[in-house]
Amino acid sequence: MSLTRQIGLLLLATLALAWAGSVAVNVYSVRDTLQMQLRLKNSDNATALALVLSQQRGQPELMALAAAAQFDGGFYRRIRIIGSDGRMLFERNAPESLGRSHAAPTWFAAWLPIESAPGVAQVSDGWRPLGTVEVVSQSTYALDALWRGSVRVALVLAGLGLAAGLLAALGLARIRRPLDAMVRQANAVQRGEFPTLVEPEVPELRRLTRAMNTMVVRLRGVFEGQAAQVEAMRRRATCDALTGLSNRNHFMALLGASLQREDGPAAGGLVLLRVIDLAEVNRSLGHDSTDRLIATIAQTLQTYTQRVDGAFVGRLNGSDFGLALPVGGLARETAVAVVALLRAALPAFAQGVAVAAGAVETRHGSALADVLGGADLALARAESGGPFSVDTSVDASVDAPVDAGPDAARSDPADPTSPDLAVLGERGRTARVREALVEGRLQLASFPVVDAAGRLIHIECPLRMQLAPGAPFEVAARWLPLALRGRLTCFVDERAVALALQAISGDGQPRCVNIAPASLSDSGFAARLRTQLLAAPRAARDLWVEVGESAVADRFELLRELSRQLRATGARVGLEHAGERLARVERLFDAGLDYVKLDAATTHGLAADEARAGFVLGLVAMLHSLSMQVFAEGVADGATADALWACGVDGVTGPWASAVGSAGDR
Amino acid sequence: MALALAGASFAAVAWDRDAMLRAAHAQGPQAVAGTRALQALLVSEAAQDDPHRLAAINRFFNSRVVFTSDMEVWGQEDYWASPLEMLGKGRGDCEDYVIGKYFSLIAAGTLPSRLRLVYVRATLEQAAESGPAGASILAHMVLAYSARPGDDPLILDNLITDIRPASRRSDLMPVYSFNAEGLWQGVNGRSAGDPLARLSRWRGLLARVRSEGFQ
Repeated sequence: MSLTRQIGLLLLATLALAWAGSVAVNVYSVRDTLQMQLRLKNSDNATALALVLSQQRGQPELMALAAAAQFDGGFYRRIRIIGSDGRMLFERNAPESLGRSHAAPTWFAAWLPIESAPGVAQVSDGWRPLGTVEVVSQSTYALDALWRGSVRVALVLAGLGLAAGLLAALGLARIRRPLDAMVRQANAVQRGEFPTLVEPEVPELRRLTRAMNTMVVRLRGVFEGQAAQVEAMRRRATCDALTGLSNRNHFMALLGASLQREDGPAAGGLVLLRVIDLAEVNRSLGHDSTDRLIATIAQTLQTYTQRVDGAFVGRLNGSDFGLALPVGGLARETAVAVVALLRAALPAFAQGVAVAAGAVETRHGSALADVLGGADLALARAESGGPFSVDTSVDASVDAPVDAGPDAARSDPADPTSPDLAVLGERGRTARVREALVEGRLQLASFPVVDAAGRLIHIECPLRMQLAPGAPFEVAARWLPLALRGRLTCFVDERAVALALQAISGDGQPRCVNIAPASLSDSGFAARLRTQLLAAPRAARDLWVEVGESAVADRFELLRELSRQLRATGARVGLEHAGERLARVERLFDAGLDYVKLDAATTHGLAADEARAGFVLGLVAMLHSLSMQVFAEGVADGATADALWACGVDGVTGPWASAVGSAGDR
Repeated sequence: MALALAGASFAAVAWDRDAMLRAAHAQGPQAVAGTRALQALLVSEAAQDDPHRLAAINRFFNSRVVFTSDMEVWGQEDYWASPLEMLGKGRGDCEDYVIGKYFSLIAAGTLPSRLRLVYVRATLEQAAESGPAGASILAHMVLAYSARPGDDPLILDNLITDIRPASRRSDLMPVYSFNAEGLWQGVNGRSAGDPLARLSRWRGLLARVRSEGFQ
């Protein structure tokens, strides 16, 4: 039994005993008093009557009259005169009905009868003793008074007891609240969260809470130190030291991942920018000015990453920069704009400093080498075109012309391969997604996530959608932008969860579904998912739900709410495509996450890159210290997988994992 | 202590020697002497019949106690002293004599039902000395003994010290009489601690006397 319940019961018992005790004491003492009063009254009346009777000169008629007058005028149950020889000289009894109580119930009268002790006095005539007179008063009014008094006392004391009980309950709650809070805090620390509590007013509990808070703050400090360290390692591994932009390796990894990821942008652009003849510039300007020049270019490019969500910049080598755009049809425009900006800014450093830019449109699923090849070609042509010139190239995998004019640039980036879709217009295109939802043209793909021993951890189930009847099932890159524009992601995600729960119920395999960060903004979304999970409690325990890393930065509270709601049903909640911002999220420990999936770009080339391996090792250690599991996405080869195992990663997915998984199946 | 009043047999000793002596010690040396004398009397009279007892005990108190008003002895109007208190002082007024004789007779074995304490109006025949009225009227108390209810009772008095039948006491006019009979009917607690006992003078005295070892 819990401590508070014990105290509560004890209080209750004490109150009940106090109530019963005080009622009993009160009732008994009132009864004693009443009986005593009756006795006194009987005795006094007997004496008075005897005095009167003794004055009647022994005449029986006079004595009987006097006694009868006393009886008739008073409240008596009985008056009798007994002669010295034992003969009854006079007797008067009140009728039985008068002796019955009206107010008090019979059980009360039986339990607490009021005795009316007879009063006795001697009657004489002169020297001659005549006998004794005996007087008994009515006691029913006393019983009634006792009953009424007892009821009143019981009620009043019960009221007081109730008030005392309420006060006690309040006091108990005052103690209990901080205790419960501390238990929750301890549980939270166990889960890798570091909440601090408001100190309660009870002194003992205040000290305890303060100690707990101190410990939690210290733990948080340790975590923050670790996070800072990991962030520093990430910078070393992935950033160019001078500009803070991604280094070549990391830029390539990011670009590769965005082209291959199922929910990557359907179309995009790549702009390569080169400072013409940097070696010469360096010689004429000096090292410091050249560094400033490089930094200016980096800043100019970074404005795009700040303005366009999903764009990223890298410094590819001393003189080359890359800018990747998440939207198709804008590569040339962007290149022209950047070059124009720099044409205005660079003469401030020195005459003759110039840049050239090559732009290329990209398509989801293109090979990285093809995209780079196209961009390099364009850059080379631009460079030969003179200072501040821009050239574009055609991505080998894309057959649509990129420089076909403004109309083509605005053509549907989602699916230009199906012309009928392109002419549908905005409304018609989102209607396609809605229809697919309504008609259930959805299915889950499956990719295994395996641990170091090749055992399946869960099946990753990205949703595929058939945008038109009979058309192929498309990956998220094709329909997600439409769903986003139509604000349909929450419905899509609910369907994906429903399909996953159904599949789990079918074969008992744990499955993982990803959810668009945009869905979190729907106010009822978390609650609806929870209802869904509660309806399938067994399957819910095998469900993993993950959200893109941006959610933890942009929608922290919403993510926290989602995890609070879903984890209560036994499902696990995590982040996908994570790595870039993870160490910078201030209250990662507060998000309530079970696991993190590291983006392919984060682990790319891990085997060969020592700095990166150090970063991943630190990141994994940090996440483990927050009680999160860590998985790696997009692992392509055994060497990377081995390096990841060495870093302590709990599981991997990607082509290599699929191969291992299917080999395991066989 | 727990002997019933009316049912006390002759053979039973209706008093507690030690308790009586303890109470006497508290009253002082005179009370102890008086008590020892009374106890000796009670022991010897236990074997005698009522007339003998009446004479002996009447004589004992009349000779041993000097009549004094309550105001002089106790500093208050009408104080009912217990037998030992009276013996301790060696002084007392009419009801103190009556009380002492009443309890001593019962202690010696007389049936309580034969004894009554009687308020009387006494006419004092000392015409010459007492004033122009020729006779003075006095509120007085005597002890009356009757062997049977109808008998002419014998009067034990401190004014006229020899025992005479009531018919020969024309100076006394009875007003009201009482004794302890039936007093405790229907009442369980008969101790000195009974709060009611302190409120009534007669019951208070009964309680006090019992605590001094009588009946």
